[in-house]
Amino acid sequence: MYVDTQLRENMRRIVITGMGGICALGHNATDIWQAMTEGRSGIGPVRHIDLTRIRNDVIAAEITDFEPLAYIEETRLPFLDPLSQYALVAAGEAIRQSGLDVRGERSSRTAVVVGVGAAGEETREGLYHRLYVENATRFHPLGIVRIMSNAPASQISMAHGITGPTFTVSSACASSNHAFAQAALMVRAGLVDAAVVGGSEACVTLGVLRAWDAMRVLAPDTCRPFSANRRGLVLGEGSAMFVIETLESAQARGATILAELAGVGMSADAGDIAAPSEIGAAAAMRIALKDAGLQPTDIDYVNAHGTGTPANDSTETRAIHDVFGAHARQLAVTSTKPMHGHALGAAGALEMIAAIGALRHGIVPPTINYLGPDPTCDLDYVPHEARAMTVRAVLSNSFAFGGLNAVVAVRQAP
Amino acid sequence: MSQVQQEVFEIISKQAKIEIGTIKTESTLKDLGIASLDAIEVIFDIEEHFNINLPNEDVDFENGTVGHLVEAVERQIASKPAAG
Repeated sequence: MYVDTQLRENMRRIVITGMGGICALGHNATDIWQAMTEGRSGIGPVRHIDLTRIRNDVIAAEITDFEPLAYIEETRLPFLDPLSQYALVAAGEAIRQSGLDVRGERSSRTAVVVGVGAAGEETREGLYHRLYVENATRFHPLGIVRIMSNAPASQISMAHGITGPTFTVSSACASSNHAFAQAALMVRAGLVDAAVVGGSEACVTLGVLRAWDAMRVLAPDTCRPFSANRRGLVLGEGSAMFVIETLESAQARGATILAELAGVGMSADAGDIAAPSEIGAAAAMRIALKDAGLQPTDIDYVNAHGTGTPANDSTETRAIHDVFGAHARQLAVTSTKPMHGHALGAAGALEMIAAIGALRHGIVPPTINYLGPDPTCDLDYVPHEARAMTVRAVLSNSFAFGGLNAVVAVRQAP
Repeated sequence: MSQVQQEVFEIISKQAKIEIGTIKTESTLKDLGIASLDAIEVIFDIEEHFNINLPNEDVDFENGTVGHLVEAVERQIASKPAAG
């Protein structure tokens, strides 16, 4: 994955020129970033599920007031689970912002890579309810094309006429960051010149909530990463998409460069299926730094995985100490999950909005809902309020169930 | 040993594959080598066995003892509506 110095000199540099998003904080990346700087939370009681069928008071960061027809043609809509609707909204915004013409000559030299942890869960549960509960004899024929986890990638390619490598990457909560890695490596290798990349998830359904609840990792009150008395994670949903391309291409087009996608790091714990490992997490961060040609002291901000579970946050803190040594104390380390929720396969993509915002605007979004220090979490988590500070480079962490870790390093536009 | 305690110990011994005699009321699940998802599975087996729901507050994998767990099960059984 990481390359030696000589190779790096000849390596294509990759920049981000478009960004789009939708989540509980807003229906475009500008509104989402604004909410992050204000420390606003999108978490609230779940609205569209019968709560009598669930053990605890269930909260989530749900998308509200979303009118798909404002973004998507009516004839296309029957084919789309919310999973794909969100992805189309975010990808449309990112491609528009980039100004990149992905049709014509560029079409086959552009990739689409989407991180998805679950799949079209709303459609799946609706169909299974008809099968097992209503004993229905007929199934809706569009079930498969709505449910399949590659649907968002396919729909983006269809909507924008992109004919290059197009696929979904699935590694639970690390899916988006693994997607960034796949897209970046394809551009770097010269297989394509640009990619639409990000993640999507529409997981606030009764079945998914019940399954997470059964693992006893859902917080009943709210999400409080790195805080004393944190009680778990809160699910979220949404999508964020980005256009990446070579620095050369962006400069030739005169495009606005949002940030440089400097490096990626991936590792597997080869340990427990659920419990996090500081060794695996630290390995992924180290590899991302090395791949980016960055020293630990070059990083000013770590957008943490920071789920708000007791195990993740203390393990991640130890891993950051291990990688950064004395510089760990100089870092701003925040989790934006109390704002947009844990959107599983879309988490790393939504958090990339935070990373890019921090680089461009010199503002680190806060860790909200913080009650006070936990002895096992002793870094600077920027509690409550955003901080204005110079951010030269960022690590964005995602650590998935299954022990799969993916970290992306981004830095200021060259 | 109460009937509930006997049954809880049997479930734990089966899941952890340890002799029932080695389980003490003051042991934590962690002491017994039951961690992470295995511990959550033990709680699930207990819930299924007694047909109760144990709230998260009653399930402390770090510091809660097996004795506390038995008490929590007894509380839940007592608060269940009479059979009917």
